[in-house]
Amino acid sequence: MNLRESVGIALAGLRANKLRSFLTLLGTIIGVASVIAVVSFVEGMNQFVTRKLLNAGANVFVVDKYGFITSEEAWEEAQKRPDVTLDDAQALREGVAHASMVVAQANGSAPVRYRAKSMKGVSLNGRGPGYEVVDDQAIGFGRHLTHVDDSNRRLTCVIGSEVAEELFGNLDPIGRRIRVDRWEFEVVGVTAAKGKVFGQSQDRFVTVPIHTFQKYWQERGSFAIAVKSIDQASLPRAEQEARNILRSMRHQRPGQPDQFGITTSETWLELYRNLTGGIFVVSIGVAAISLLVGGIVIMNIMLVSVTERTKEIGIRKALGARRRDIMTQFLVESTTLSLAGGILGIIAGGSLALGVGLISPLPAAVSAPAIIMGLVMSTVVGMFFGSYPAYRAAQLDPIDALRYE
Amino acid sequence: MLIEIRDLHRVYQVGDQEVRALDGVDLDIRQNEYLAIMGPSGSGKSTLMNIIGCLDTPTQGSYRLKDKEIATLTDDELARIRNQEIGFVFQTFNLLARADALHNVELPLVYAGLKHEERRRRAKEALTLVGLGDRMMHKPNELSGGQRQRVAIARALVNKPSIILADEPTGNLDSKTGDDIMTAFHGIWSAGNTVILVTHEADVAEHAHRIVRVKDGRIESDTVNPNPRGASASGAHA
Repeated sequence: MNLRESVGIALAGLRANKLRSFLTLLGTIIGVASVIAVVSFVEGMNQFVTRKLLNAGANVFVVDKYGFITSEEAWEEAQKRPDVTLDDAQALREGVAHASMVVAQANGSAPVRYRAKSMKGVSLNGRGPGYEVVDDQAIGFGRHLTHVDDSNRRLTCVIGSEVAEELFGNLDPIGRRIRVDRWEFEVVGVTAAKGKVFGQSQDRFVTVPIHTFQKYWQERGSFAIAVKSIDQASLPRAEQEARNILRSMRHQRPGQPDQFGITTSETWLELYRNLTGGIFVVSIGVAAISLLVGGIVIMNIMLVSVTERTKEIGIRKALGARRRDIMTQFLVESTTLSLAGGILGIIAGGSLALGVGLISPLPAAVSAPAIIMGLVMSTVVGMFFGSYPAYRAAQLDPIDALRYE
Repeated sequence: MLIEIRDLHRVYQVGDQEVRALDGVDLDIRQNEYLAIMGPSGSGKSTLMNIIGCLDTPTQGSYRLKDKEIATLTDDELARIRNQEIGFVFQTFNLLARADALHNVELPLVYAGLKHEERRRRAKEALTLVGLGDRMMHKPNELSGGQRQRVAIARALVNKPSIILADEPTGNLDSKTGDDIMTAFHGIWSAGNTVILVTHEADVAEHAHRIVRVKDGRIESDTVNPNPRGASASGAHA
């Protein structure tokens, strides 16, 4: 009915008392801003992690000795399991019909040196052929490691772009020899830069053939085997096939628990979701408290407004305003007020998230659902906390209200 | 009969004391009468005006407006009657300070549920009628007292009510401006409206054609005014 008028009155009131309005809305602004900021971070992380996990490990599961360990007992139990070997990898390569790629993996770290320049704490990856698919690794210069490198246990390696930069500077690294631990390796390729994840460089590594790795660093010990299924749909079947093969190789009886672990990217996503779910709940709690305080402040200011405008209410009633007209007017005003706070909060929270996203490794994405949530929350706060003042205004006796000075 | 009041009582409870503001009032008012309700303060004339204006309901008795019993209506029904049947003009103008003249006059039409364009059109018409066609965009504080009261009159007229109810309409105006306003009321009456003045000033009441005196919650006298003032200046603003 007189919606536009009520919104106009509310906005005029906001403009007329800028400082008071700002202070009134501070609670709502902070509440909505914190929700938007947190949701943006969580959303950004979600997108990021999902992309990373699903990209790197799209349709991939990993077999290793331990699997997904969640307790100390499980850890002790898993210690007793037989190692996962390169023979297992070979068996899977031959036996898993729904696999498109089976890649054995091992990880360590080693000092790396080229002439006078050296680097410490460089990740040392042993990888079977096909690793570039599973690891989502593109080559920048040179070539990837191949079957030939692996089966001949060659001393060849592919290095990350950061290693290439630090050791070689402007030199072309291809064909040069670097010292990894105590052995000389020929650099055959440099991978394309991947950048940082949570401040951790993704380009500080040396990858060597898995059999080479086994020969020089890990004569015994357990490997991990990444299995990539043909497509999304065949992932469970590939997993089942791998499980059957590994169980029979370990002579396991039916009903006995697996003597190995299988993790999928889904497992990690689940853990991640649990973690961020916790963050989410806590931040919603904080936001709820600021919104509660913000709502009470709005209620207070609306009660003041009703008192200040008792005469106006009387006039409106004398001219034919029904209770619900007055009620609507004040509800629209409190909602407009709160919604203005919500919009400011969205701007503040969004800027905060995007700003932090720019200067830190934390990714942030301000999403439409977050914005809608901010708007809905502030609307609800305005309606809820405005309803009592509006009710008071609507109940005023027209004669008393008209007489009020 | 426009208004039929029978044995009207209004009792207030002030602390543990009963105040009989109206104590058995009978009053009939016909269409297009020009009537003044007079009385000193505390006589009950304000209470009578509030009940006639549907701002208040009687404790006992009957008030029929256009054959409709008002005494038993709910708040929202009363609001509807105020909107449709009553045009108030107050001593203190009672305009919305933040709204311009046009908007103030539109207000009853807002509550009548009229569309924006129709409201505009009728509000402009009413303001032009009271001679403020060139002041529509002015806020009350940019208008003189007389102009403010004209805005209030335009607002009272805009919804074409059955009764114009004016409570001390000249009380806050100098006598010259007051005379202008009274002339305006005369014009409104001669255009076919029913005008009820509520006042304690005899020379204001003398503009009316019928004078009802209230005292101690009862009607003391109800007389025809043989020589209403201002009749000669009729039509100046209507």
